[in-house]
Amino acid sequence: MSKPIYELVDNLPTRNITVYALRSLDFILPGEWDNLVGFENTIRTVTRETDEALIKAIGQRAIQLFNDKSQGYQRALWLYQTIDSAGSALGTAALAGKIGEKVSFVPFLNRLTPKPEKAQTLDLCLKLVTEVVAFCQINGIPGDSIGDFIKALADYGGESLVRMAALVSFDGLVPLGPNFIRQTQSTLNKLTPKDLEGNPAFKQIKSLIPGKNTDKQLGFIEASFNSTQEWMGNFVSSKGLSPQKITHNFQKFVDIADDKLDYFGAFLDMTTNYYEHTGVQTLTRRLIERAVAEI
Amino acid sequence: MFRNSPRFLTAFSLAFLLLVTACSPAKTDSTWEQFQTESPAAVVDGSAAKVLSGGQFNQFFPPDGDGYARVYTQEKEGFAEAKLKQNGEELAMLSVSDTAANPAAAEKYRRGSMTIAGFPAAEIGSTATGVLVGDRIQVKVLSRSDGFTAEDRQTWLQKFDLMGLESLATQ
Repeated sequence: MSKPIYELVDNLPTRNITVYALRSLDFILPGEWDNLVGFENTIRTVTRETDEALIKAIGQRAIQLFNDKSQGYQRALWLYQTIDSAGSALGTAALAGKIGEKVSFVPFLNRLTPKPEKAQTLDLCLKLVTEVVAFCQINGIPGDSIGDFIKALADYGGESLVRMAALVSFDGLVPLGPNFIRQTQSTLNKLTPKDLEGNPAFKQIKSLIPGKNTDKQLGFIEASFNSTQEWMGNFVSSKGLSPQKITHNFQKFVDIADDKLDYFGAFLDMTTNYYEHTGVQTLTRRLIERAVAEI
Repeated sequence: MFRNSPRFLTAFSLAFLLLVTACSPAKTDSTWEQFQTESPAAVVDGSAAKVLSGGQFNQFFPPDGDGYARVYTQEKEGFAEAKLKQNGEELAMLSVSDTAANPAAAEKYRRGSMTIAGFPAAEIGSTATGVLVGDRIQVKVLSRSDGFTAEDRQTWLQKFDLMGLESLATQ
């Protein structure tokens, strides 16, 4: 069983690398994300209610809704948490791979880990699929409904939009460069079900990806990417985004030396859990919106 | 590769320090702990009447139009919700829920004398107004903008197909 929802929200950090990384995106989405933390504080902010008894009643219903596994909120949380911990493992492998290219005593690492670019494109795709599936779990839409997700994406705001901006920035542009969409498309075209089965992140979330076998699940991953690539491309061009702008803004928060920017993607992977952080905020918001309407 | 390692190490040390300082747990209200302990395994009581699916409610929501956009957000067992937006601004939430899943919610309508379109109605807190249709289905409008008043909520409640929902409740 998951930790209680109020505990997760009460313990969301206000000062760590994840928060700084997300804040560094404020130049793309000014004022969009305010790092809402604390269960009671979230209830007050979302509902704009001040009556103590009513706030307690909303909290009670939200706790009940979260605890009922059949309602999907815990599955969404698990997805957000799991894809982030998979990212951390990838971060270690990617960094080791970089060192492996320069230092002779660990050349075997290159044989043990996938090439960073391929692993990174897969990581991007799997995070995207996680968003699609978690969205469906939270909002009660059938799990394979990419069309509903795309429609909702146009209405994304707050922490949900910032999560997508972080995906495009930290898992797309920074590690893969300005052609990340084309590069990912090209990797996906060549990807076999066997490649997918060898991916640690996929292994972990496989049970929740729609499709009765890996081949079908690969199809779902491709469909998710194909349907969102236009949104991602428009996002990058409308905001004039580049890897340099993203790293430059992050350097305001954390001192990363200019000659180590090559490691920036791996550094973020290892030190942040922005999917889990903003995922907890999204599902808490939805829980509270439902709770206040149901009581 | 070691020439620049002090700066790299500094960055990682800083990261570590930030992670450690961020881990001190916040104080949690004991009321929530009590609710957690008392929380049932399932939010929908198995002995209750069969709960209507949220998808059945969608057709009874106020339609788009006149500069207003209705954006569906959640569709769960016994519950459906949509945002009401105008020029991109969120004005209110529109919701329909089956009180068979949460019978206590219907009580407030039975206690009062307020009615809207002939159905028992209630103001809930300072941001919500609701009606109970067919003694079962709760329809609510919840303000999400300062300019969206109690009067606006009453107006929008009447834009739902309340008669349609009543037929659904009494089927």
